[in-house]
Amino acid sequence: MTSRLVSLSVVLLAVAGTASAQSIPIQTVPLVPADQFDIFPSLTLAMGGVSIAVADTLHDPFVNPAKGARLRAARFFSAPTFYSVSHDAGAGRTLPLGIFTTAGTWYGGLALALQQVDASHPSSPSLNVPGTFDTTFRLTGPLPPGVQDLSPGADSHGNARAFALIGKELPGSGLSVGGSIGWTKLRALDGVDLLYPGSRRVDQSGETFDARLGVLKEWAGDRSFEAIVLHERFRMTHEVTFLDLFWDPGTQQFFQSPRLERNRDFSKRWGVQVKYERPLAASEWRIGWLATVNRISQPNTPNSDLLNIPQDPGRTTAYELGVGVSRTYGPSLFGMDVVFQPIWSTTWAEASTPTATPGGNVIPVGGRTVDNGFHFSNALIRIGVSREVTLGPLTKTAALQLGLAVRSVHYNLTQQDHVDVATHRLEESWLEWTPTWGLSFRFPELELRYRGRVSHGTDRLVANQNGFIANPVADVAPGFFPPGNSAMTLDGVHVVTHQFSVSLPLR
Amino acid sequence: MMTRFVRTIYLGLLVLATGCDGWKTPSGPPASLDADLRQSLSRWGTVPIGPTPAQPPALVDLGQALMFDKVLSGNRDIACATCHNPASHAGDGLALSIGTGGSGLGPSRTLGPGRQFIPRNAPTLVNTGLGAFYLFWDGRVSGSSFAFQTPAGAALPPGLPNILAAQAMFPVMSREEMRGAPGDRDRFGNPNELAELGDSDFVAVWQAVMRRLLAIPEYVTKFSAAFPGTPTSELGFQHAATAIAAFETQALTHTDSPFDRYLQHDDAALTAEQKRGALLFFGDKARCSSCHGGPLLGGQNFANAGVPQLGPGVGSGAPLDLGRGELLNQEFYKFAFRASPLRNVELTGPYMHDGAFPTLEAVLKHYNDVPRALRAYDTSQLPPTLQQMYRGDDATLAAVLTSLDGRLTQPLNLSDVEIAELVAFLKSLTDPAARDLTSLIPARVPSGLPVQE
Repeated sequence: MTSRLVSLSVVLLAVAGTASAQSIPIQTVPLVPADQFDIFPSLTLAMGGVSIAVADTLHDPFVNPAKGARLRAARFFSAPTFYSVSHDAGAGRTLPLGIFTTAGTWYGGLALALQQVDASHPSSPSLNVPGTFDTTFRLTGPLPPGVQDLSPGADSHGNARAFALIGKELPGSGLSVGGSIGWTKLRALDGVDLLYPGSRRVDQSGETFDARLGVLKEWAGDRSFEAIVLHERFRMTHEVTFLDLFWDPGTQQFFQSPRLERNRDFSKRWGVQVKYERPLAASEWRIGWLATVNRISQPNTPNSDLLNIPQDPGRTTAYELGVGVSRTYGPSLFGMDVVFQPIWSTTWAEASTPTATPGGNVIPVGGRTVDNGFHFSNALIRIGVSREVTLGPLTKTAALQLGLAVRSVHYNLTQQDHVDVATHRLEESWLEWTPTWGLSFRFPELELRYRGRVSHGTDRLVANQNGFIANPVADVAPGFFPPGNSAMTLDGVHVVTHQFSVSLPLR
Repeated sequence: MMTRFVRTIYLGLLVLATGCDGWKTPSGPPASLDADLRQSLSRWGTVPIGPTPAQPPALVDLGQALMFDKVLSGNRDIACATCHNPASHAGDGLALSIGTGGSGLGPSRTLGPGRQFIPRNAPTLVNTGLGAFYLFWDGRVSGSSFAFQTPAGAALPPGLPNILAAQAMFPVMSREEMRGAPGDRDRFGNPNELAELGDSDFVAVWQAVMRRLLAIPEYVTKFSAAFPGTPTSELGFQHAATAIAAFETQALTHTDSPFDRYLQHDDAALTAEQKRGALLFFGDKARCSSCHGGPLLGGQNFANAGVPQLGPGVGSGAPLDLGRGELLNQEFYKFAFRASPLRNVELTGPYMHDGAFPTLEAVLKHYNDVPRALRAYDTSQLPPTLQQMYRGDDATLAAVLTSLDGRLTQPLNLSDVEIAELVAFLKSLTDPAARDLTSLIPARVPSGLPVQE
């Protein structure tokens, strides 16, 4: 993928969201969403993430708490997870620990994850004021209100996530109900610092909260129906410190002045998902269908100079229709999901001051200056296979898994510019593909798993070192021009994730 | 059976995925003026101007008196403020200035008998205190507080605090502007002693001007207040120049334009039309910022912009004006003039080194296709007294175009709408406070000479 000039239309950028299902991701640029929150153990993520017609006993309770009923015994698990973005554009490490336990018809689980996220590109001179700058350009004056620290900031920050679920199996009915809550204290979302090129430091703080209520109905003949209602709240504040250059007429030199920009990113999401799964008659095939609806409101979005579609709040309605099949053939398992995601999103920008239009009208404060209408037609295909082999005694097995997830994003944007009284249209599409692989060993006492994945087709912002144009005239006053910021480009990157998980029964 | 099915699907998806590079649609989103513009500003080092340090009131008071006092001129008939009149936004509104011997003020000023136009336009003094590296159209005064290069060479006295003070040393040296010709008599019929001194005798001229000033008791008082630690016997013209520069800096610095507010991250400070004009200005199509970049939007380099040759000419090149080429005797700089800082440019026409263009629209149409515009220059836009001083012969045009700046040899292909957007942007450089500077005109000056005549 060749680099290209950044022309971001980041609206409702899906950097938020800690849930891996029922939350339909929305992106308007192929900025890589690193696998920051893909942290809990899974049987099928190594199979491309197939999930509609393939059960994932270990992971399903995090998605639908009612599915905790399928855990037949108490278990402890841990799943150290590591991801890294190529070109030194980000990395993170997560250590989740958790237990599932049962008591009669009740079951529950607790999980805690500690995470460390690295700055996306700490060495890029375009993202932080370079050291050489400090020798040439001096800081002057007191720090403005709110600016606490002008150091470049730590290379990594820690997040913490807590998760709890409780559920009950209703005997004799085949019905289970469960609820879960998750809370994450956030100090770093991967890639956010890249939204503020030229900043001295970016301090993030915020939290997410999600609550889920699920129900699972199982019938004889291995048929099941499940439904989930979820609510998520995401609240993040970016305190961005810039060191702005200015020309000091008194000394006829360039100086730097600190400036604090505080951006809030706040969104709420309601979601409903239903899924039905059953075997295909007289065969080893299974089939499942799912339908999801998300309603998202985003009263505040971060304001970055990189955003080139003016927008403040936004609302989105996202749908997901999927069908999945699987087949068990002896020790082999095959699964495939096909998902279609039509999404309608509107965002708008509001005038902060009375704004004149060419026609002589004035848009008052709070009036809309821009309306953006997005229509996405996204598609997702997941496919995976697993092959199990017996090692010695029948109680020891190993399994090899391979998979591929392909995601196509396509959207049309119609933008009404009420200031210029103009309509702009844009069509954009891209393809992401993610091979996955895994290896697992099952012993009577424990299960050991490794899974890996590498995401392709996504980008990350990088600095274009040739962005500054030197003055072409030879007789230029030395030092009169300050160094300019480099232009930002989107460059192709891939994200590699490794997870090692252990699961063992508690006796 | 199943294995073949899985393999077929898997390979199919892999083939599909490997073709993903071509999937992206190359179209860009609708332009965001602010995002694009801020990136362009950054590329050209156009950063905000910080506050101007307050000047000592006594120094400013002295500088104001000197600025408006015709006693500094050999014939006692012209002050600095005659050609840099606050009523004309610290210029004179003329294409070519009229120096000693002239009468009247502003655009209605007329030549005196037997006098010649000053070869160049009087640039505005507004914002000259911001610290441009070069002053005068040919940049003959240059440098920063650490060192100056001036026509006086080693004769320049020490102690000048800034380039503006260094510049203020030289108008009194110019015979056409202020000093007068040998044999001139002043407005009272007395001999003009300044005019009798040699053109290279900088020190003697400066001393003679100081003798005039210190013969006026009110000036002695003002100098003492402005330079309290300096005995009168040690006062030199550098002290007068320092005071003039202090007044210019204090009174004529105006950097609160909409564009300046935009630089301070107020996105609403500019209209959409002005932002589009700014994008042209700082972008690759109009390329204005390649000369008018940096914090001052100019003032740091020179270019032969193919400006029509007009006026009596300068030095050995007369009747042509070779600009910086005359100063440095370098072919590279032939017909090259300083790219002026552009804040408040809306107020400071006529434009270019000889005032060849009365409006910003005319300037931009010239830049849009310099070779064609130079050959088709319409002298009717000049005052009648200057029309016959236009050098439009083939040899002159060829000479100008031979050394035309390489960035201007090809048409810019700006549309009328784009030119209007550029003009709108240039008008956003106007600080409203600069529109009326007449409050700076004092009622009287210590010499008692008339201030506004």
